Amino acid sequence: MEKENLTNPDPTPSISLWNRFLQFSDRNASLIMPMPAMVVTALLMVFPVFYLLYMSLNDWLLISGKPPQFISFQNYAALFQDERFVAALKRTGIFIVMGLAIQIPVGLAIAVLFNEHFPARGLMRTLLLLPMVATPVAMALVWVIILDPGSGVLNYFLSWLGIPSIAWLSDIDVVIPALVMVDTWQWTPMVALICLAGLSALPAEPFEAAMIDGATAWQRFWKLTLPMVWPTLLVAILFRFIDLLKVIEHIYVMTRGGPGFASETINVYNFLMGLFYYRVGYGSAISVVIFALVLGASLMLIRARRAAA
Amino acid sequence: MSAPSSLASPLRIRKYVLFATGVVVLLPFMFPFLWMLMGSFKEEVDFLAYPPVWIFAPTLENYRNIFVEQDFFQYGVNSTIVALLVTLISLFLGIPGAYAVARYRRTGFALIVLTARMAPGIAFLIPWFVLFVQLKLTNTYFALVTTHLIQTLPIVLWMMIGFIEAIPREIEQAAMVDGCTVWGSLFRVIIPLTLPGIAASGILSFIFSWNNFLFSVVLAGEKTKTLPVAVFNFLGYQAVSWGPLCAASSIITLPVIILALVVQRYIVQGLAAGGVTG
Repeated sequence: MEKENLTNPDPTPSISLWNRFLQFSDRNASLIMPMPAMVVTALLMVFPVFYLLYMSLNDWLLISGKPPQFISFQNYAALFQDERFVAALKRTGIFIVMGLAIQIPVGLAIAVLFNEHFPARGLMRTLLLLPMVATPVAMALVWVIILDPGSGVLNYFLSWLGIPSIAWLSDIDVVIPALVMVDTWQWTPMVALICLAGLSALPAEPFEAAMIDGATAWQRFWKLTLPMVWPTLLVAILFRFIDLLKVIEHIYVMTRGGPGFASETINVYNFLMGLFYYRVGYGSAISVVIFALVLGASLMLIRARRAAA
Repeated sequence: MSAPSSLASPLRIRKYVLFATGVVVLLPFMFPFLWMLMGSFKEEVDFLAYPPVWIFAPTLENYRNIFVEQDFFQYGVNSTIVALLVTLISLFLGIPGAYAVARYRRTGFALIVLTARMAPGIAFLIPWFVLFVQLKLTNTYFALVTTHLIQTLPIVLWMMIGFIEAIPREIEQAAMVDGCTVWGSLFRVIIPLTLPGIAASGILSFIFSWNNFLFSVVLAGEKTKTLPVAVFNFLGYQAVSWGPLCAASSIITLPVIILALVVQRYIVQGLAAGGVTG
């Protein structure tokens, strides 16, 4: 290059290193632009999954100071013999069923209501956002106060109806419904707002035609609204299903899985095993199983949505 | 356009019935906020009263307690530093990444990030915890920022893909005809045009990092404790003091609520993309 420049008296501007770099980065922009994000994603999210898979094949108590010991699939075999895990799995199933059975109909009903026109509707919709953005730990603790069996305000309200005091968080038969209630408080607005987006996008003509034909509001809901909003509703179900399967935060804060193990879901058990008792090998195996469950459930629901859309 | 009164009044009644229903539906969702705020001004004896007291002499003692007797100011600084760093890094990585997905169809990459939304947070937390323990990096901002990114990077990426795809390609092509490079187009066309989207995804990242409990409770130590961890520690082994707890909860929640009101149109989208830790 330099020789050429010397022999060539023509003062064509030699491309500076900086310009050449600019040209290079421009030609390869499609690779360079996503590169930092891709590298970080690989480090943050892809690598841990492989490390997790590896650890799940080892017996490893982190605080023991001993190196991990390879035991192949023994952790997984032990998992299905582990009564505490199987019980947690069942409990999670109950949590999901109860959560969906309440949150989806209530959320849809709220969406139908807020799809109508009435004063202060906009403000009310905005207020509905608050439970899902407010710091969950803080709100969970406020719920502990509300649910207090002695001086809690919920029992006070229920006493108006003649219902005797309930030990919400310390009665093994009530603790799951109580925690589902808190989850419902936090996430039903999400269902409502997803459905609301779906409802407001529906065309008006079929509803007008049905009104002219004399269909009642009830008939219009079952024959028109529900089938038309079903694909949107499936999205809401998908998100709630996945997040209920992983439910942990307010349970960990409010009961730590207790009393006894009465409110221990799989994710709480996973957290305690891996990060509280430092049994990282076994904890990793639980994580892998939850991961597989979540992915399987997601794929099923995504397929259902494709079929519905 | 005034309708005959015989027609207008049933419609008006309907509106008021709907309004009343709306208020009734909203009440249980708003009540915990009211109770928290009221509790933050109550004295300890008022918490033990049954039936619960609604009218009481308010005190600022609880707020004094958390800021003077406890180090809530420091925890607030920790939370702010971590959330700001997380937001900036997410935007710095996410915007070019989203541009590449939107314009060059890097969908495989986008799908990997989506899987991170679906996956249980603990699946990422256990490996990172093990690594940070071995590298002696627990109780550092670095550990908190790194793990919070797992949640916020997908938010920025997925939201920005949508915002960038909404910008017509013709605008960029016009700029390129005028000699603009791809990078020039990103900085001079895309970023200025998607500023509202950048603000929304940035604010949502901040909220998610601010609210994050699970990753922080494992990785934060006394020095780097964030607000959610600090308020959780109220439920210690000694008797719980409800008043300061309510005051702390109110203080933590207030900034998030203000920010959420700013970006209310995008919250559902952001929650769908970033989801819940767990």
